Amino acid sequence: MAPITRMAAFGRGAIPTSAGLRVGLGRVVSVLFTLLGLLALTFFIGRLLPADPVLAVTGPEVTKATYDRVYLELGLDRSVWQQFLGYIGGVLQGDLGRSTTTGQPVMQDLMRAFPATLELSLAAAIVGSAVGIPLGIAAAVNRGSWIDHIARIIGLAGYSIPIFWMGLMGLFLFYAKLHWVGPSGRVDIFYEGMVPPVTGMMMVDAAIAGDWTVFRSAFAHLILPASVLGYYSTAYISRMTRSFMLEQMTQEYVIAARAKGLSRSAVIWRHAFKNIRVQLLTVVALVFGGLLDGTVLIETVFGWPGVGQYLTRGLQFNDINVVMSTVLMIGVLFLTINVVSDWLYRRLDPRTR
Amino acid sequence: MARFARRGLVGLVAALALTPPALAQTPPNMLVIGTDVGSIPTLDPAALNARTVSELVSNLYDRLVQIDPIELQTVQPMLAESWEVAPDGSKITMKMREGVTFASGNPFTAEDAAWSIRRVIKMGQVGSTDIAQWGFTPENVDDLVRAEDDTTLVIELPEKVSTDLVLYSLAGSSLGIIDSKEAMEHEANGDLAADWLRGNAAESGPFSLVEWRPNDLVITQRNDNYWGGQPAMERVLMRHIPESGNLRLQLEGASVDVGHYVGASDLEALAENPDIEIQNTPGFGFYYIALNQKDPDLSKPKVREAFQHVLDWQGLAKANMRFNGVPWQSIIPQGMAGAPQALEDHYDFDPEKARALLAEAGYPDGLKKRLYPASDAHLLNVESLQATARLAGIDLEVIPGQHVPDFRARDFDVYMGNSGGRLPDPFATATHYAYNPDNSDEARLSGYYMWRTAWDVPELTALTERSKRETNPEARAEIFAEMDKLYRESDPSLIVFFQRIDPYVLRANVEGYTGHPTWTTRWDEVTKN
Repeated sequence: MAPITRMAAFGRGAIPTSAGLRVGLGRVVSVLFTLLGLLALTFFIGRLLPADPVLAVTGPEVTKATYDRVYLELGLDRSVWQQFLGYIGGVLQGDLGRSTTTGQPVMQDLMRAFPATLELSLAAAIVGSAVGIPLGIAAAVNRGSWIDHIARIIGLAGYSIPIFWMGLMGLFLFYAKLHWVGPSGRVDIFYEGMVPPVTGMMMVDAAIAGDWTVFRSAFAHLILPASVLGYYSTAYISRMTRSFMLEQMTQEYVIAARAKGLSRSAVIWRHAFKNIRVQLLTVVALVFGGLLDGTVLIETVFGWPGVGQYLTRGLQFNDINVVMSTVLMIGVLFLTINVVSDWLYRRLDPRTR
Repeated sequence: MARFARRGLVGLVAALALTPPALAQTPPNMLVIGTDVGSIPTLDPAALNARTVSELVSNLYDRLVQIDPIELQTVQPMLAESWEVAPDGSKITMKMREGVTFASGNPFTAEDAAWSIRRVIKMGQVGSTDIAQWGFTPENVDDLVRAEDDTTLVIELPEKVSTDLVLYSLAGSSLGIIDSKEAMEHEANGDLAADWLRGNAAESGPFSLVEWRPNDLVITQRNDNYWGGQPAMERVLMRHIPESGNLRLQLEGASVDVGHYVGASDLEALAENPDIEIQNTPGFGFYYIALNQKDPDLSKPKVREAFQHVLDWQGLAKANMRFNGVPWQSIIPQGMAGAPQALEDHYDFDPEKARALLAEAGYPDGLKKRLYPASDAHLLNVESLQATARLAGIDLEVIPGQHVPDFRARDFDVYMGNSGGRLPDPFATATHYAYNPDNSDEARLSGYYMWRTAWDVPELTALTERSKRETNPEARAEIFAEMDKLYRESDPSLIVFFQRIDPYVLRANVEGYTGHPTWTTRWDEVTKN
């Protein structure tokens, strides 16, 4: 709960119009400072990893002469500050170094892996919200009824069942037994390479190319991992929605609206729900952020070529550049989500304008 | 909002209903291999030696010669049609196959072959490990390996060495013949096209690279003008499926035709399936326990001997190792020159004996050490050793993770892993287990396992050297038998328990796919019915 209050407070901060520019500038500066802190953090992660950066470039079988040459090339003889500035300079130019596990520039790898994870997380967030919010509302307005109990059981299961087990069971049922969904990867293997990559999101690219066969295949591959992943956010979203709604339902304006003779659904949707939108937005934004870096296990189970798998490999094989850059990217994403949801609050909540 | 949600849900269900049932089968003209393509750092033959990428590259590039997957000591022609060995064994003259073209359309000549061999030596990366052993260096290789004319390649040997060994090394996937004209068009800063060949290919083999996406997929397309005839498979794809349970479901559902790296419990289940065939391909390597000789406790011969009796290898052979290894406790692989006939003189699993040996060595209260697995794949073996060693009073703390770098850096106490080799000759395993020409830390000979454990037995090193030079088959067999005996008697720091097996899982309708012990499995003869 702590992050929500913090974010809400941030969103509500002060806005007389005349000072709008100053506040805007202040926000930019604070984002820049956070970015700098993030860069420092990733830089020191790189220092702390138990891997020799020289061996990461040369491979373990290396002569003393080559080792020394690469040591100098990497600038490891310079002071830590000079190295840090060099690192920032590289990042600003989009140079994140080369991965030792894939042999490719990390930037290029991330450009490929990120859209895959984005597509999966977006779909999961949609599934999670589409199921979680109505379920939470239903549980709140029918407090203590069977709907409430079912919502609680779903929530509990979502917190306690391991996600990889759920993924495998899902594959067993929907792929192996029912043949409804694809087994692994992002599209059936014979459609690979058939639509030109534009956004890197397979369904979007297929739609752009107007290739509906590939679109359906991509959908059949996306729906299961997205649903399994979405199920876990459903649990959280529905619990949060329920408690927000319960709080609203006891407010005087709700009683007044009921007394005025408004229908139950009008009260729920037009009054109470409207008032929890901002809080819900925070929850969904946090869930989405969590999904982006929390897809590690599901990506491995489904052979989904995304960021989670990339980072895990990097950690397993001490691939310094991959670990540093992926952590940096996830940090930047959280910052972006923060800024965007902050902007959305001001659109939705007149008090913050 | 309720209406909206309802509509959304209806839309979602409709979309799912419209989705055709996921196509179960792979098409008849396409082979799909489910494997781990996550650890392919490069497609450059000169810079690779791991299993998955070796198989891929063996289909992109032909070599001069090849090794029969069953008759392992038989060298067969490939791009070299025939060859002659000088009577004194100092030179191999090869006649190149005529009328062969690369995928680019460029004609293949002896110059391409010479260029490719020289390049491997000059780059000096892992791909050169096997062939560089015969004394080729970046300085001498231009003179020693040369094209006399378009169809004649001469390989002069810098030192006396069994020419069989040289031919075996020429059959390795790193010695793939590259289209030198095509590659050199992409050279930058005198790098011999290293940067370009990392992610591209100048193919001479039956398949061409279409796309390689790290952690995801490799797509290859058959080369219609391949000199050996057009392959039946139009495309061969390697898909990244790191999760064994998922791979098993896809093998059962025929979404995948061939599976690599299937876990032991999934193999158990697949073995019962009539639509599935499991090929147990022997490998030139072993599963072992390694004891760091820089540790004052572990370097006592009695302690090393005690470790011979603390692993319940017969139990493991029925469980985790059922599809990954056969019990074998000699450093000469089964069936090879100088190898014991059978597993005659094996280590007993006897914790009491081990306890007594420890007491003799001065540890009546047992020992406490850290135990490192090579990777998660070894966790079950490690846990088994941890449990049974406790019976002998050895308390092992397991440190999970990927510890190959620690093993190479001599930074471990007790380690469990496995080795693999690409030369079908006992010399290959001898260099791993019985060769350490300089035991100092500074030597950094981390390619040799004996160095990694800091164990120094000059007699074994000398025997390995001799086996390299000896050309007479009977004399070589004697050397290996002697080496094996000496190794066992010295209570080795690397205790071998199993010979490696690589299980390849195939759909029963796949014909002509034969898992190759040197990881050069070919796809051009594969058919599906």
